[in-house]
Amino acid sequence: MAEAVVEARGIVHRYGERRALDGFTLQVPAGCVFGLLGPNGSGKSTFITMVAAMERPAEGELRVFGQEPSPSLRARTATVFQENAQDPLLSAGETLRLAGKLFGMSGSAASDRGRRLLGTFGLAGREKDRIGALSGGMRRRLEMARALLHDPDLLLLDEPTTGVDPEERRALWDALLNAERLRRTVLLATNDLAEADGVCEQVAFIKDGRVVTTGTPSALKAGLRREAVRVGWEGVTEAQLAEVRNWPGAGEVTTDGEVVHLASDDASALVPRLFAFAPGAIRSVTIERSSLEDAYFQHVSRRTAVVEAAR
Amino acid sequence: MSAVGAAMALFERDIRAVLRSRSQLYSSMVTPLLFLVFLGNGVSSGLEPTALSAGNFTAYLVAGAVVMTAVFSSTFSSASYYRDRDSGVLRMLLSSPHRPRTILLGKSLAGVTIGVVQALVVLLAAAPFVQFEWQFGVPAGIAIALAAVVLLNLLLAGVAQAFASRIQTMQGFHLLMNLALFPLLFFSGAFFPVAGLPAWLEVLARVNPLSYAVDAMQLAAYADGTDGYFGLAMDFGVLTAVSVLVYVAGLARVPRLTWSGA
Repeated sequence: MAEAVVEARGIVHRYGERRALDGFTLQVPAGCVFGLLGPNGSGKSTFITMVAAMERPAEGELRVFGQEPSPSLRARTATVFQENAQDPLLSAGETLRLAGKLFGMSGSAASDRGRRLLGTFGLAGREKDRIGALSGGMRRRLEMARALLHDPDLLLLDEPTTGVDPEERRALWDALLNAERLRRTVLLATNDLAEADGVCEQVAFIKDGRVVTTGTPSALKAGLRREAVRVGWEGVTEAQLAEVRNWPGAGEVTTDGEVVHLASDDASALVPRLFAFAPGAIRSVTIERSSLEDAYFQHVSRRTAVVEAAR
Repeated sequence: MSAVGAAMALFERDIRAVLRSRSQLYSSMVTPLLFLVFLGNGVSSGLEPTALSAGNFTAYLVAGAVVMTAVFSSTFSSASYYRDRDSGVLRMLLSSPHRPRTILLGKSLAGVTIGVVQALVVLLAAAPFVQFEWQFGVPAGIAIALAAVVLLNLLLAGVAQAFASRIQTMQGFHLLMNLALFPLLFFSGAFFPVAGLPAWLEVLARVNPLSYAVDAMQLAAYADGTDGYFGLAMDFGVLTAVSVLVYVAGLARVPRLTWSGA
């Protein structure tokens, strides 16, 4: 396994009475795009803030590049926050020059690299545009250019594509993972499971300030049944669900109101049997290949887990 | 990457931001100039305050207008912490490899510089209306006034920074600055001479550091003697001690990134 860039052991952090991190333990290998997945308030952003040396753990041990996080260590990291961090009175070029100078670059070096990055992120020719003249997607891409300006070894991304349309999102990730990937480590906190499935080499599921599982997306998906069946089931009862659990090929069964989520090895056999079992009550059926989202729901979901699959 | 380089980058950025925010740039100077033109001429014509050493009330008000400019300027400059916090810029600055005090130093030095320049602009704009005496000579008089303005702006930047690090909203900050600084302005000799006030008011004026800035500027620019003034030694002794103390104390606490605890 590659050397760990971030190592956290038993991290605890409190906001008043609430424990934002509660025994958080994680290793992020060097050169990896690593996803932190969890619901809002699960502790993802708090952990990112700690790795960026902007908060200190109350308990536990945190090492970044083998050292305790400190302001000087931030020279090797860059953070993209959930919200844009741009002064509307400055232009795109001035924003990058300021960031470059804060990281020790000369004005001309920051300008030169800034222009290249603006081109990489589809903002060529927008150097003199004020921030207020840029669209939301452009501002997110400018944030990414700003973060990469000083060529950090560790890029911390806290929900970087929130509010970005799919086309902008693809452009942003293409630029980051192709033109600017290099060997840097990326730690991505996100709620977007499809995004994490597409870009992350490893992920950790976070719940209530703890890491509940880690692995590659394919390994986490491999632990699931092959297909995810979502059933709109009017008046479904627990007794009915308990019976479905015992059918051959049925896996985990969870409910979300009148939507039943079934994991199955063979949906083509399961679905006709459902219609026969609850005639007139099945309103809709959707069959999908199991995704990272299904793995996430298995480990993290707040949905009611009705029946544990008998494996 | 040096702390000085980072502070200078922030200094440059804040100066640029102020120059592009015209309302902030002009409003700090316009209100004091309006006081000078309308209140000064009105009182001079209507009440004929012959006891004033400056000869007329407009001339007397010049030092007060300069102090008022510094008060407004420091308030506006420190309000930029709220703008930076709300725009997320403060978070970005604090994620750079510099200690928060370096960030604050760059920002506050920009505020002090803007305040000094604005105060000097008001002083120059008032020149046609008043008869300057320059009793210590023109170069020395200008140097004394400049030194007083710099110290005054350091003092006010420290006060504003201390408030900004503790007050949650910009509205609350403006309210507190007005509540704290306007009484100090009244009892500073900016609007009426300190000498001859009732004893309790004179005590307030003597413990008010702004009084010493007004006193130094009046002595430098249009006083034709030193009787009735605190004197330059006292002025600069008090101003230097209090300004440095307040400025350093103001930088001691970093404004919070958020107020929700998140």
